[in-house]
Amino acid sequence: MAEATVRTAAPLDKARILQWLQTYGVYAGVALLLIVNIVITPHFLSAENFRTQAVQVAPVIIVALGMALVIGTEGVDLSVGAVMALAASVLALYLGYGLLPALIAVALFAAVAGLANGALVALLGVQPIVATLALMVGGRGIALVMLPQLEDLHNPSLASLGSGDIVGVPYLILIAAALAVLIAFVVRRTTFGRQLLAIGDSRPAAQLAGLPVRRVLMVVYVVSGLLAAVAGVLATARLQASDPTSLGNLMELSAITAVVVGGTPLTGGRISIGGTVAGAVLIQLLTATLIKHDLPPSWTQIAQAIVIVCAVYAARGRGKR
Amino acid sequence: MQRSIHRPHLLARPVVVALAAAVALTASACTKSEDDGSDKQKSSASADTEQKVVTPKAGSKTCTIDAYGAKKIDLKNATVGFSQSEKEANPFRIAETQSMKDEAKKRGVKLLTANAQSQFSKQISDVQDLLAKGADLLVIAPLNSDGWEPVFKAAAAKKVPIVTVDRKINATACKDYVSFIASDFVEQGRRAADQMIEATGGKGEVAILLGSAGNNVTTERTKGFKERIAEKAPDLKVVFEQTGDFAREKGQQVTEQLVQSKPGIKGIYAENDEMGLGAVAALKGAGKKAGAVKIVTVDGTRNAVNAIVDGWISGVVESNPRFGPLAFQTLDSFTQGKEVAEDIIIQDSAYTSDNAKQDVGKAY
Repeated sequence: MAEATVRTAAPLDKARILQWLQTYGVYAGVALLLIVNIVITPHFLSAENFRTQAVQVAPVIIVALGMALVIGTEGVDLSVGAVMALAASVLALYLGYGLLPALIAVALFAAVAGLANGALVALLGVQPIVATLALMVGGRGIALVMLPQLEDLHNPSLASLGSGDIVGVPYLILIAAALAVLIAFVVRRTTFGRQLLAIGDSRPAAQLAGLPVRRVLMVVYVVSGLLAAVAGVLATARLQASDPTSLGNLMELSAITAVVVGGTPLTGGRISIGGTVAGAVLIQLLTATLIKHDLPPSWTQIAQAIVIVCAVYAARGRGKR
Repeated sequence: MQRSIHRPHLLARPVVVALAAAVALTASACTKSEDDGSDKQKSSASADTEQKVVTPKAGSKTCTIDAYGAKKIDLKNATVGFSQSEKEANPFRIAETQSMKDEAKKRGVKLLTANAQSQFSKQISDVQDLLAKGADLLVIAPLNSDGWEPVFKAAAAKKVPIVTVDRKINATACKDYVSFIASDFVEQGRRAADQMIEATGGKGEVAILLGSAGNNVTTERTKGFKERIAEKAPDLKVVFEQTGDFAREKGQQVTEQLVQSKPGIKGIYAENDEMGLGAVAALKGAGKKAGAVKIVTVDGTRNAVNAIVDGWISGVVESNPRFGPLAFQTLDSFTQGKEVAEDIIIQDSAYTSDNAKQDVGKAY
């Protein structure tokens, strides 16, 4: 009897630990990296440094927020990097009319891109990975046709968007923070958020329950496209140049990593926005640590892979509800 | 030097976009034709900007048409095929392709072009396409150094001579291909080191923004730089080497980390102009003054040379992309039966604060 109890108790504890790791592991990881850096990295503990890390991670967070919504519906959006490039191209082309008209044009393009993804997934029932792959490849192509090479931008409003601040906090950080709060609110407190999670949990069940499955999915992909465009605009503003060739390269992978490491399961039905933000910060700190200590760039990739494997392992204990 | 690019054409935009979508759909499937409407103002190839050859050392190997085993033809009646490796999305590739087109036009030679869009398998099929379309002579800007056997076989079957430009193919000269025309990347690294030594006074800590990993340009520009520093300025220490992937944004991000963790950094050697301009953006963002950190780059694009004029960049070592005249001259001599050198090394110039202002017109 005693033996049997031990045997059943052990896996339970393991499952509990895994569950804790999946939910809080990413915060623990961020805390650990912060402590390690404060101890070993010269000049780490400075406002200037934290500002740099936050500014660099802001576009990743913004893209990852959209990715979290998509993954919450048991989908994935591979086109986010291409949409960033598209945003950069459109911004450069329309900047002659002024910043606001250019931003409206960018939003229109991004919404169309998102609609295209959404239509394929929601109306035609194409697998999200395939549907968004098309735009991932084609989107950058279109961006490059519109703007074949890097172009310097000399718009004062755009420059101040990229480098300005309010009492020392850069606009980029404020925008990313505001969007994170907004998306978290949508997920937790709105009907739309609940419908989204219900669809991710089980699309057939959501359909049977009479939820507007197609409409919700369309909106989710449009939001993901719009957020990617915001990130593209901010990155372009910071660089003061539109670079459709390399802007947003591999961003889809960074965003998916942030979401998964942050404890949102790829199987849908559950979203952690706090975890997603922390996941992006974790990867940023990891990269910064390795760069600051001048370790070979290949180490960064290996370290990221290890973090992903840990996250996926932690997620193993908890699939669909 | 800002081009006025924001000319609004309200009606033209939707058309451009529709075309864009159409072109994007077909771009990966078809080879580009000769006249795809490239920017003509870029092609101001005066004699001044033409590539000059380093005087070959005595006894360096040459190749003739008899040794190679091809037929003599008149270049004027020939069709030349040019296979470009990367998309014309950076100034180097744009200038390179344009220079080939300009020279073909000048000589009245029919030119077929193809662009592999950075996919090696596409480049192999591009070249085979060019052969099928009747190219008598080939100029290849290879994406990779290895894996060209199928192309050599196909070209040899048709007795089509090949000249490679800017990157070398690992194969036998005067058998698999005729000549290789390029800059000496190790030498570019050495000359960048010379400029860095002069700018910093040969003392202090410097950083390297490396190009993409696994690329011979990166390896050789790094090798030359480090060799020369070790040899001439042992007090100059390379304390930081991180990749910026030849891209401006990555150069900016890496430099931001650099100036925070090593505020005493004296100089930054960027292995291309774009990363150097990214470093400039990062230094501006960190509130540094122009010239506080010495930046030396390689390429010679207009933006970088302008940054010398503004005081942000100390020196730019040129890597001349205008291969057209030299490639056609080589093909011309070769097809007439004259001797041509197997390795043709270009004499690259350089820009510093002394000549940046008057020579900015030569930059691409």
